[in-house]
Amino acid sequence: METQLSVGNVSLSFGGTLALHDVSLDVHAGEILAIIGPNGAGKTSLVNCISGFYRPDRGSIAFEGRDIVRMPAHRIARLGIGRTFQNIALYTGLSTLDNLMAARHIHMRYGLLKSVLYWGPAHREEIEHRRAVEEIIRFLEIEHIRKAVVGALPHGLRKRVELGRALALEPRLLLLDEPMTGMNVEEKEDMARFILDVHELRRTTIVLIEHDMGFVMDIADRVVVLDFGSTIAEGAPHDIRNNPEVIRAYLGQQERTMSAWYSAEPAHADHRDRTS
Amino acid sequence: MTQPVTLPQYWLEKVRQYRGRNKVSARQKDLGIWQRYTWDDEYEQVRDFGLGLIEMGLQRGDRVAILGDNDRQHLWAVFGAMAVGGVVAGVFTDSTPPEVEYIVGHSDALFVLAGDQEQCDKLLSIRDRVPLVRRVIYWDERGMWSYNDPWLVDYRAVQALGRQAIEREPGRFDQLVAEGKPDDPVMFCYTSGTTGQPKGVKLSHANFIGGALSLGTMDRWSDTDNQLSFLPLAWIAGAALDIAPHVVYGTILNFAESPQTVQANIREIAPDTLVYTPRLWETLVSTIRARMLDSAWINRLMYRAFMPVGYRVADYHFQKKPVPPLWRLLYWLGARAVFQPLLSQFGLHKVRVTYTSGAALSPDAIRFFRAMGLPLRQIYGSTEICGGSIAHRPDDIKFESLGRPMPGYDARITPDGEILLTGPGLFLGYHKSLEATESAIYTDETGRRWFRTGDAGHMDADGHVIYFERVKDLIELASGDRYSPQYIEGRLKFSPYIGHAMTFGDKAHNTVTAIITIDFENVGRWAEKNGLPYTTYTDLAQKPQVYALIRKDVEEVNRTLPPPARVRRFVLLHKEFDADEGEMTRTRKLRRSLLTERYADILHALYSDRPNVQVRATVKYRDGRQSAIDTVLRIESLEAVAPAGAWSVKR
Repeated sequence: METQLSVGNVSLSFGGTLALHDVSLDVHAGEILAIIGPNGAGKTSLVNCISGFYRPDRGSIAFEGRDIVRMPAHRIARLGIGRTFQNIALYTGLSTLDNLMAARHIHMRYGLLKSVLYWGPAHREEIEHRRAVEEIIRFLEIEHIRKAVVGALPHGLRKRVELGRALALEPRLLLLDEPMTGMNVEEKEDMARFILDVHELRRTTIVLIEHDMGFVMDIADRVVVLDFGSTIAEGAPHDIRNNPEVIRAYLGQQERTMSAWYSAEPAHADHRDRTS
Repeated sequence: MTQPVTLPQYWLEKVRQYRGRNKVSARQKDLGIWQRYTWDDEYEQVRDFGLGLIEMGLQRGDRVAILGDNDRQHLWAVFGAMAVGGVVAGVFTDSTPPEVEYIVGHSDALFVLAGDQEQCDKLLSIRDRVPLVRRVIYWDERGMWSYNDPWLVDYRAVQALGRQAIEREPGRFDQLVAEGKPDDPVMFCYTSGTTGQPKGVKLSHANFIGGALSLGTMDRWSDTDNQLSFLPLAWIAGAALDIAPHVVYGTILNFAESPQTVQANIREIAPDTLVYTPRLWETLVSTIRARMLDSAWINRLMYRAFMPVGYRVADYHFQKKPVPPLWRLLYWLGARAVFQPLLSQFGLHKVRVTYTSGAALSPDAIRFFRAMGLPLRQIYGSTEICGGSIAHRPDDIKFESLGRPMPGYDARITPDGEILLTGPGLFLGYHKSLEATESAIYTDETGRRWFRTGDAGHMDADGHVIYFERVKDLIELASGDRYSPQYIEGRLKFSPYIGHAMTFGDKAHNTVTAIITIDFENVGRWAEKNGLPYTTYTDLAQKPQVYALIRKDVEEVNRTLPPPARVRRFVLLHKEFDADEGEMTRTRKLRRSLLTERYADILHALYSDRPNVQVRATVKYRDGRQSAIDTVLRIESLEAVAPAGAWSVKR
């Protein structure tokens, strides 16, 4: 299978904390790859490195044969890597339509002068982009919120708009950072269906970070497991499910997070709020 | 061609009338832009699809089940199947796979039209249990790319088959249309089936045409009328009010972009006809009122100035009195300054035919819309009578009634209070159930056949039919007469001054009585306005003036009732019914048995000739303390009471 994205020995640290340690992985063209791992394993850091939000300290990242390690995020987007964010990052003051149109920006050819005149080519181009956006709106079944301001939408719909914006880039590689957090079962099923449809219809390669193991096992072709910044397992979903290393990482981590959570809880925060 | 007698023949006549004239038949949004489809487009779509079904083996009388949202392909598929002699069985889009299985199986459908991937998946999941189904046809290809199952066929592939057939036999389609007979079944409409399994109601071409012609006698329907098709087409209302008028009058059907965009689409289309449920109309009243509160001061000022004018003129209309010229002038101004602009915000400024159906709509909402210039009218019917059969005429609206029988229809009330209906829409029978058909049909002395609705009602002196509730929920009195608690209580609660009401009557008593609680806020405001001092809820409720106020409302409801079912005596309770004390459920439904027990003394007094009753109320405070309050409650009698003997209650 053709390798579309190749990550080689990437390391990233924040001060003394090592977020990624010699991570290597290959993403094949046309697959759905899930990256899983306990909290703080470095999943989002890895996606941020790929999409150019972070610059790794060491290592190489190549997309379709081109080195993208030192490339700014907007150029990576233009190359064909689209992404969504764990904490939704939309223009909350704009409508769904405007959010998607903004994403088309990287495909717009006309310059400032032409767009001010808004005549002939610029106008025609705008119509073309609007058509592309409307197709995404229909695809994601968000016609009813086309003109709604994104800030006023419920969480599940915002997640869908965010996927729409990533699709508006027409990416060949789509990075989805926890697309199903905070959703109910029905919304998750819808989202899973959209992800599979995108994959099927556009042959888009998808890299997915997700916590809901049920969905990961259902839709992923391949799973990579990260823990403490390193790859600890890689393989087909059913192999990963029974991998003792993975089970240990998850269960062990769970205990740690529970205790960490208890100790981190500011016991008097509530009280202080009320008296101040 | 001779006089059309089937739906496809009417349809074909319209096709010929509009041929080459670029006349719009349907509109639907595509990628956010309204696209228009002409009658020529519709003809080709319908013909190709219908012949495609024939090519796939459909024969006259075979059933085709359809489940999908309302859209143009749905409409074309329905007409295509009907045109070549197929019988359409509609299935609601939100049906579960077992429900789909029941209807597809019961109707012996050979083909199933499943709109999209979601519906196709339902069919795939029940595939083993519907062995008769030869093919499942879908028209929305989204998500269907990876299905490689020959059982599933694309709508366009069926049409391609149809086009091949035309090349072979150009006259085939018109011939198939001409072969239809008016009494052939054309649709199986499955009733919701609150009791047992749904029943397949067989309806003929003549049923639908008769219904549409009757609608057109009451209101002018024309081929420039825009309708927004959002009622499910599997439901009789959708079929009778969207499909039938489209073929009989050539109305333009507009399809909502998605079920969630109906409101926005109504605003864009500004339909000429609109059927809403009471719930939707009432939501609209509160939306309009809320929007006015947020509006600019000048708008609020105009609204406040002209709404009373609207109400005054509305009341003239309801009382069937001529509107004096001054009020007419003021109303004309109000319509231009406030009502029309406001309605246009909701796409309602062009609506001519406005029906409400399904349940009682509050007089408040009816008056509100009449004041704005929209005469909301009740329409009542059932699947077995092919849609509407009783409706209000625009100039003859009574809040409490369903209206009068539509032109060509008749209604009568049996001695035990059941509403019977007959007319051109009377169904052919239930599919595969002769027994149910026989028990649903009543043949009168002249041999005329009537449908037993199972609804209890009353016909007043003006021929208006008033609906009470289901016959089986009526309560029988000692005299053998029956009365409807739900109707009386529901009507009483429409009064702003009444909080709750519980009627009482049973086999031991000859009459109906009621315990009523006042709406403290509204009655309190009324008391302040009328200079009536009061201290507590109990004090206010026992004022003679308040009794007189409530008495008027009770009399108003009594006026709509047959004499034995009227409320003869009532008491205003010293407190409100309280959910904390278990008197009501949390959803504010009365707990009858508990109330009957708790207020046994009051009920006893209501069935005596005493003018009042003493009650001792135990009040439980939040901290657990209890105390008792003694109160004397007045009892109001509405008419001279019958001899005391009839009222006696054995203690």
